[in-house]
Parts: sequence; C-alpha cells; structure tokens
Amino acid sequence: MADPAGASSTIPLLDRRLVIVTGKGGTGKTSVAAALALAGARAGRRVLVAEVGRDEHASRLLAPGSAPAGYEGRLVRPGVTVMRIEPFDALGEYLGLQLKLRAAVDLVLRNKAFRQLLEAAPGWRELITLGKVWHLEQMQGSDGRPRFDLIVIDAPATGHGLTFLDVPRVVVSAVQSGPLRRNAQLVEAMIGDRERTVLLPVALAEELPARETIELVARVRRDVGIGIDRVVVNALVDAPFPAGLEDLDRRLARLPAGTKLPGLPSVRTLAACGAHLRSRHELNAHHRDEIARGTGLPIVPLPYLATGVRGPEQLERLGAALVSEPSAQAAHGAVA
Amino acid sequence: MSDARAADPAALLSERHVLVCVGSGGVGKTTLAAAAGLEAARRGRRALVLTIDPARRLADALGVGALGGDPKPIPRALLDALGVPPEGALSAMMLDMKRSFDELVARFAESPEVRDRILQNRIYQHVSDALAGSAEYSAMEKVHEMAGHPEFDLVVVDTPPSQHALDFLEAPQRLLEFLDSRIVQLLLHPAFAAGRFGFRLFQRSAQRVLQIVERVSGVSFLEDISEFLLAFEGMSEGFRERAHAVRARLLGPETAFLLVAGPAVESTEHARLMLGRLETFGVPLAGVVVNRAREWPDGSAPERVPLPGQDAEAEHALADALAAQEGAGFPAREAARAAIATANLYAAMVRADEAAGEPLREAVEARGMFWRRVPEQAGDVHDLEALDRLASRLFGANGGSRTP
Repeated sequence: MADPAGASSTIPLLDRRLVIVTGKGGTGKTSVAAALALAGARAGRRVLVAEVGRDEHASRLLAPGSAPAGYEGRLVRPGVTVMRIEPFDALGEYLGLQLKLRAAVDLVLRNKAFRQLLEAAPGWRELITLGKVWHLEQMQGSDGRPRFDLIVIDAPATGHGLTFLDVPRVVVSAVQSGPLRRNAQLVEAMIGDRERTVLLPVALAEELPARETIELVARVRRDVGIGIDRVVVNALVDAPFPAGLEDLDRRLARLPAGTKLPGLPSVRTLAACGAHLRSRHELNAHHRDEIARGTGLPIVPLPYLATGVRGPEQLERLGAALVSEPSAQAAHGAVA
Repeated sequence: MSDARAADPAALLSERHVLVCVGSGGVGKTTLAAAAGLEAARRGRRALVLTIDPARRLADALGVGALGGDPKPIPRALLDALGVPPEGALSAMMLDMKRSFDELVARFAESPEVRDRILQNRIYQHVSDALAGSAEYSAMEKVHEMAGHPEFDLVVVDTPPSQHALDFLEAPQRLLEFLDSRIVQLLLHPAFAAGRFGFRLFQRSAQRVLQIVERVSGVSFLEDISEFLLAFEGMSEGFRERAHAVRARLLGPETAFLLVAGPAVESTEHARLMLGRLETFGVPLAGVVVNRAREWPDGSAPERVPLPGQDAEAEHALADALAAQEGAGFPAREAARAAIATANLYAAMVRADEAAGEPLREAVEARGMFWRRVPEQAGDVHDLEALDRLASRLFGANGGSRTP
C-alpha cells in the first residue's frame, strides 16, 4: 500500500504540513525535530514542535534555560512554537468542544473513578493526542492562513511510535459508530494524506539501530497508511583523513615509537586517535549503506557533532543539512 | 538509596539473583547484560541473560544463533575458552514482547472458554498491544518466573528500549487500581452488560459520567469494554497475586538495578532524570554505567593538541618523520596536518564526553552508588573478546577506570 520508494520524495520536508519524527531512543529524534523547526522558521514558515511523551526536551534545545512550554505552548524563537501534548489536557479541551458544557467536563475529569479508568485504559492517549494535532493543523490565524505552516511531531520511540500512529485505524475498525469513530476517521485521513503528512525516521548507522530502522520502514509500509520518503541517518563520523591518505593512522603507527614531536602527543597516540575515528567512520558508512539498501529510501546524512547537541548553534548546523534535499545520486547509489 | 553492598559491582554478580539493566534505548543495555552474564559465569554462577533484542552477530558469537522463548545454553567449549569454571554456566533467552500477554491470559483464565472469550474479544485484540506497560510488565513476569527457576543462580535482564522504560514498574499497579476502581465494578455488573439502560440503577454521579462517556464514544464501544472486563474479572485474583509477587521480587533485596547511559549530554541528562524516578519507585539501584564513553588512547586525560596550522614546529617535526618513512612523493605536510587535526578532534570528543558525564557522576556518587565509565569499542561488540574486554572494564577490580 505504500508508494514505491521515492515516489513522493519530490515534496521538500518544509512544504509538508505535518512531519512525524520517529526513531529508536538515543538516535537524536528530538534534536532532529528541533533542527527541522529551526530550518523551517529560517525559510519563513510558522512552525510548531509538538512533543509527545512525559518530558519536554525541544524547548530546552531551542531556547536553553527556558521553562517548559507545556500544553499552552510558547513561542520559543521567532517562528517556532513548542508545546507538549498532555493527553489529560487534550481530553479536557476535547470534551469541552464536544459537550459545550464546562460543568459536565469538570464532572468527568474530576471523577476519581474515571481518572483511574483513564490511567489504565489503552489507546485514548494516542487518539486524543493525534486529535489535538488534527485540531492544530486545522487552526487558522487572523490572516486566514493556517496558524502553523508546518507541524513537527516529536513522536515516541519506534515501537511505541507505530502503535501511536495505528490507533486511529484501530478505533475506526473497533468502534461502529458515534463521534469517536468520526474523529478517528478525520485523524486517519490526516495521517494517510501523502501530500500533507510524512513520517521521518531517524537512525544511527550502527548495527541494532540500522536493523530496527529497516524493520520500521517495512512495518510502516505493511501496516500503517503513512507516507515515508527518506531516512535521516544521524551522528555520522566523517572520514578522519583526506582522500589518498585514508590509512594514515597505519603509517603513523609504523613511525618509530621514540619519534620526537615537540608540542604533540606521541605517534602512538596520534595513530590511535586516527584509528578510532577511521573505524567508527567505516562502521557508520557500512551501516548507512545497509539502511539505504534495506529501505530503498534516500538517506539524509547528518554529521556527528563532537560537542553534543546543546542548543541553537548545533541545531542550525543540523537543520541546514536536514533540508538540503537528498541527492538523486545518493538515492541511486543506495539501491545499486 | 545507597546500599553498602552495592559499592562493588562485581559483588552484585555473586550476591544477587536478579540484575536489571535500565536506561533509554540505544545505550547498549543488551551488550552490557551479556557482559554481566559472562562475568557471573566466570565467577562460578549459573547465569541466564534475558534479552529483548540481541544483536544477531553477538548471538552468533555466543554460539546460540537465533534465540527463542526458552533458555539456550552457551556451548561448553566456548565457556571453557573464556575461563568459565565447570560450576559456572551461561544461557540466553529472548523475551517475546508480543506473545507474553496472551500467555498471561491463558494462564490466569479460569477455563478455556473464558480464555478464548478474552483472546477473541475485539477490544482485547486491539488493546493488548497498546495497553501502556503491559508488554513490559509481561516481560518482568518472565523475569520473575526464571528467577524462581532452580537451574539459574542469576538472571540478568535488559529492559525494553523505550522512553517508557519504567512502565513495567507502574503497569501492575495501574492495572490493579483499574480492576479495583468503582467504574470497573460498575462496568462489570451484569445489569450493565445486559443493556445500556441497566445503569439507571447505579449511583447518580457515576451514571452521569458513563452517560457522558457514552455520548462521546458511542455505546457499542462501551459494551465491548464491559464484556472484556467481565471476561477479565475471573482471572483478576490470580493476576493480582502474581503482580504483587513480581513487584516484591523486583524491589526486593535479591535484585539490583543498573542504570545505563550513553556518553552524550542528551543521554546523561536523561539518566539523571531516570535516577530520580527510580528512587521514587524505591528501586534497588546499585550503580550507573556510562557506556561507550570515548577515552584518550593511553587512558590519561587528553593532552593539549594544537589546531592544525597553529604550531608550525610540531607540524614540521611530524611531516619530517613521515617523509623519512614514506619516501619522496608522499604528501607529508598534508598528512601531518591531517593527523594533528584528527587528534585535536578526538581530544575534543573525549573532553565533551567527560564534561557531559560530570553532573551525573556527582549525583551518583552523592548517593553512594558505584560509577563506571566503559570505553567505546572501535567496532560493534560482536565477538567474545570484545565482550570480555567490556566485562573486565565493568566489573574489574581496578574500579573499571583503566586497564593496561
């Protein structure tokens, strides 16, 4: 049911309405979401980063030292709003819209038994979260334009991420009628819209994350009606040495151990630094190619940043790399 | 919660029966769990490693190939080669996150009819995957089961790679509270299952809540839920007892938790949050491991390395040495610059990892827990030598700081 690889990749990321960033924990998902938002704002888009989950990290990256934006959301930088979609808040808002009677909403939400039911009940968090996203996507500013041009979702880690996206379909098939079904249908239509929406997996070029990404893409194509047109491969270590000198660390290792190098570490240390980075680079390159081959999708490579991703400075770098469209050559090379 | 016995990570391997590796995804919990299992076997214990997602090549290297839902022993010849004494043993087993909730239902259902009624219930089918923490809880059920197995002295487990890494601790409590809740008792009442008008009989406020839920959701959904809960009621007592036993095991004195973090600042900060949460739960946390931290080659603090072009004399010396070795035609000057640039970058990486771990280290040491940094290996850890190096760094007597 998925498009053939690359069929919809003509739509640049910043021209989407909804980009759902997903990936295994530790892949830098939140950094990618925040970097994309920053790049979007640079290109003149009004961007919303919506975090799903218990912790809010994007606001900290985009505006270090700032307080969490919470459910109300806050403009953390020009053009970038951050919010965390808290399911209970979203439910209150939704019930308010449905029932148009604040007292009834409070009755429901303050009822201890009902809260207990909700604590344990499955599915509603995902549905209400996506319902809120749908609502945000539909919102218009006073100028009649969409309130947000681009909504970036920092989705839960891979396994949970797919469950998250699958809930509307499940509800549509499980619930025969009623407002719940109608709402789930709207959300399902939004997620399934190949023009508006795209899933953006973030991977690391290492054995387990690479395999998990390949499995994720296969599962998405098989089970979830959502477009997917590229894979971000994060934290790629560059080749440490220029062309023609790729094996420089081996040459350094052959230098006599006692070689006097004033102001420099020993030749052994120089060789070891080079060997470490070269082998990380080769490992990354190998798994990056595996991901390209295994998914048949173009790869968006992001550089490893030695400093870690601490704030806007690093996000700017990642954002620029993120929105330079994956080259046709890379895509071709990937499947060759 | 500090624990004097826990200050030495190696002691955990000989004193505890369950070792749980927690931490966010991608930090190498699986590999560390395997290394811990190997080290325990070397200390003469019969260890079982329960894993969610083993690296295929690591499983191959351990001679177990594809793992299944039953313990698979590591071949004796391999154990001998690794210095595991005759009384020690190591097995590995895969936790199937999808099937085990079905197994739970099968085990606690009072009859095959009830079991089938639950397994075939539309709501159950849709929710069993999604019920927050249920898969993780089922995994911990398995840990409890294997920890009681007479064949094993120590069960090492890596928890699911998810940001909900703590759900397995909350899930039983949540499920029990749910089963105890008034609304469930209402839904369970046969009068409700008989028809939507049945709940006229119940308390007014609960009735109104249900009416509102019904308006928002559609009644057929509610009926399916009540049918599911009715079917579930029969098994709730067994489930309740079991959940208490699992919780007691995980939080009891025979269990230790190991919090694993990656070297980058994102990961160490996340670990610091987790540290607080684990404490709130009363988890017996013994120590924190920062895995894959980069180290300066000789194990010391990174030296000051000049930027390329900053120290012409140093660059000359290195270029001369390379030219002498490689002969005419070798771009010795370019090579010297590249070598210096690379060492400079690597030193920055080592310093970044150290700085990123500092706040976490302070938090850990203030609590009297142990703290270990395990260096990044050059490649994937998928052979026994690499696993062996890892184990000695993690549990070595030298405090894991430096190995010769």
